[in-house]
Amino acid sequence: MRLFLQKLLNGIAIGSVYALFALGYTLVFSILRVINFAHGAIFTVGCYLTYALTGAAFGRNGQLRNADLPVELNFWLALALGALGAGVLGIIVERLAFRPLRRRGSDPLLTLVSSLGVAIATVNILQYLFGAENYGFGETLGSMRASVELAGGELPVVIRTKQIVIFAVSMVMVVALTAVVNRTRVGKGLRAVAEDVTTATLLGIDTDRLIRLSFFLSGVLGGIAGALIGLAGSFNYQFGVAIGLKGLAVIVLGGLGDIPGAVVGGLVIGVAESFVPAEYNAYKDAVPFVVLLVVLLVRPQGLLGRAQVQKV
Amino acid sequence: MTAAAVEVSGLTRRFGGVTAVDGVSFAVNRGEVFGIIGPNGAGKTTLFNLVTGITPPTSGALFHDGTDITSARPYHVARRGIARTFQNIRLFAELSALENVMIGRHCHTRSGLFSGVFGIGAAAAEERAVRQRGRELLALMGLATKAHVKARNLPYGDQRRLEIARALALDPKVLLLDEPAAGMNPTEKAALSDFLRRLRADFDLTLLIIEHHVPLVMGLCDRIAVLDFGRLIALGDPETVRRDPAVVEAYLGEEG
Amino acid sequence: MLDFLNSQGTVYVSMVLGAVLGLSLYLPLLAGQLSLASPGFYALGGFVAAVMSTKTFDVDGAYPVPLVLVEFVVAAALCGVLAFIVGLAALRLSGIYLALATIAFVEVLRVFSLNLELTGGAVGIFAIPQPFGTQLSYLWLAGPLLIAAALFTWRLEKVRVGRAFAAVREDELAAASMGVDVTRAKITAFVLGGVLAGLAGVIAAHQINTWSHRQASFDASIAYLAFVLIGGSRTFLGPVAGGLFLTYLPEWLREQAKHEFLPTWAAEFLRTGRFIVYGVLLAASCVFFPRGLITPELLDRLKRIGRRRSGSGGQSVRPEPEVAT
Repeated sequence: MRLFLQKLLNGIAIGSVYALFALGYTLVFSILRVINFAHGAIFTVGCYLTYALTGAAFGRNGQLRNADLPVELNFWLALALGALGAGVLGIIVERLAFRPLRRRGSDPLLTLVSSLGVAIATVNILQYLFGAENYGFGETLGSMRASVELAGGELPVVIRTKQIVIFAVSMVMVVALTAVVNRTRVGKGLRAVAEDVTTATLLGIDTDRLIRLSFFLSGVLGGIAGALIGLAGSFNYQFGVAIGLKGLAVIVLGGLGDIPGAVVGGLVIGVAESFVPAEYNAYKDAVPFVVLLVVLLVRPQGLLGRAQVQKV
Repeated sequence: MTAAAVEVSGLTRRFGGVTAVDGVSFAVNRGEVFGIIGPNGAGKTTLFNLVTGITPPTSGALFHDGTDITSARPYHVARRGIARTFQNIRLFAELSALENVMIGRHCHTRSGLFSGVFGIGAAAAEERAVRQRGRELLALMGLATKAHVKARNLPYGDQRRLEIARALALDPKVLLLDEPAAGMNPTEKAALSDFLRRLRADFDLTLLIIEHHVPLVMGLCDRIAVLDFGRLIALGDPETVRRDPAVVEAYLGEEG
Repeated sequence: MLDFLNSQGTVYVSMVLGAVLGLSLYLPLLAGQLSLASPGFYALGGFVAAVMSTKTFDVDGAYPVPLVLVEFVVAAALCGVLAFIVGLAALRLSGIYLALATIAFVEVLRVFSLNLELTGGAVGIFAIPQPFGTQLSYLWLAGPLLIAAALFTWRLEKVRVGRAFAAVREDELAAASMGVDVTRAKITAFVLGGVLAGLAGVIAAHQINTWSHRQASFDASIAYLAFVLIGGSRTFLGPVAGGLFLTYLPEWLREQAKHEFLPTWAAEFLRTGRFIVYGVLLAASCVFFPRGLITPELLDRLKRIGRRRSGSGGQSVRPEPEVAT
């Protein structure tokens, strides 16, 4: 029972990591029906930005070795600013890799590849600048306890505080995002654009601005996710793209473009990974992809998505 | 009594809450020019989709020359000799006009992967024959000079003609035309009428035509079926149908 | 001198194999399927060669070429069957969904090969026997494979089956309505691509001498995708050129890094920044030349220039309508 609970909690913890990542991913898809592969890169940049803003130094490799910003901000402030920076990066990516293709009415696959190119270029620029090494935030949560014990006794069930933070943040984010999309005027505009860009434009909605906004939001979400996940463990220039691939499984499982779906998908996959029996531990990494394959073959619209009907 | 060319029996198709085609039954005789008219959204194109196997019926049956084809898939239907054109032209945009027509010969030819690539056996001769037939059909439709032009670069009228040429390449016995007169001016529409009559005679075809332009249908068709909200509300020769009160009501306000 | 030729030999062979792998992506694409599954079949082919040459056959000295040919047959069969299964499963998928499914397929394959004893686990299989003494000699295998694959693809597009592929790519529904067995077309195209990638893997395993799960990587998928997208997705010459050029590019950049006059940061960029270049090229090609560099239109223009130069005709040069090739 204890083991079950621990595994469940671990699963939820990992799952919220995936969920947090997937939110930005699915937001862009919900508006534009394209997968923004650059999300993983923006996620990584957000983390690096936050790291730099906390005044930490960059290591021994890379062009900017031993670089050190003359600021030393509190983690949460750095996180906020880093996320804003990531948001701005999101807008830049939209302008460079998405807008020209959107204007031309290009195939979503082409847009996906274009964003992939941006992602590869970006993370490798990070490698060029900061080297391939791993970085860590250290114990920046200050006075907070490192972990919490539940149901004490001999073998307590343990959750790390960072995991609780990530879970809490992802829940807050999904609620906030859903509220924005469903209850605000801006959200209505976003939904209109998601339905049909041309009609939305004809209705006088500034679609370009709204699309920029969604990329900004997606970038901010990605930046927050990046910093928090970097906080929870260590990070390097590749960790965004690696999560990015798993993130695909998450958003397909939850339903492409479905915001609560991103959280559901993330939690399900996290828990599934956690419950892989110990003997098969090495196969853990295959879990998201097996799930992805099964979903695509059995129910491509995912758990919460609606089936697409094609008119002949 | 010989079987009808195409027989539709109690055909119904529902999409979620919408009943697009509702219990439609009729039989088309061989060699007939059979018109299908009705207001927008009456289910005409869905009917075609049902006949050609693109959409499976919710209930009801379909017969071709007496054989049950209710669950036949599109390419089986095509192989049986039922060809069609589409309301929104569906040509192979990046392929040339000639290549488009040559695809129509696909199910009547047999060269496979290796025999085709290596040009062995009958494959080379078959390829020549297909190309020849393609050119003939293009010439018939007045597109001989545009054989190598990409389908998407052809003017609208030529695209419509190309779709017909491609359908004819199938050596069909039944030809379904979905709004063949769309986008044509009155002169072209008159010419189309003559052309379709000649086509029927030269190729020994049974024609099913969906049309909005009622005068064209009245002048051309042997019999007409009228659909409204998925239901068959009238069936008969043009004069009878024109006077049917149900038809008049359905078309209230439309051109008569 | 021998050293130089040897290192250059590796590059040349890799270039030729790169072109083959580009074609392995081009073939399913002919039928409208963007499949990123090639690295999976490439890895499988390589494992077949690795396992057969280290465990099945017991050979001293140079590995006889006929055995490599046997490996070709086995790899082709295995990849063919697997591609058939994957292709069948992925039939209903298209566009993004198909691409995602093939990405997932490669990842699953990779994790499995990471864990199986047969495939050497994390370390992989090493000391794979070599049929040739020099790297350059591998061109005796890779060269004919490329030429055969290229010719096959060139011919394929001109005949019935290739036309059916194109019809399916353009409009599946219309193709089916015109009598094309769409299922058969898609699976055939998919299997062709998988088998070709597998054959390339067999050669590569011997050439590189070791083989591991790392050969089935997402990065490789992207590389092959780049070959086709940047090289040209509308003609078989595109992926061939893309494969040759883009495999050579990082080597060339690394050579340029040796120039004395370059500041260290620039040299460092040329040496390790090749993925930055890839990424930028990939994005730029999507935005600026989505059909790739080598297009049928370009080939047409070159043909016309060639004809004019050889003085055929003396016909007046009229503007021609855009022709399909």
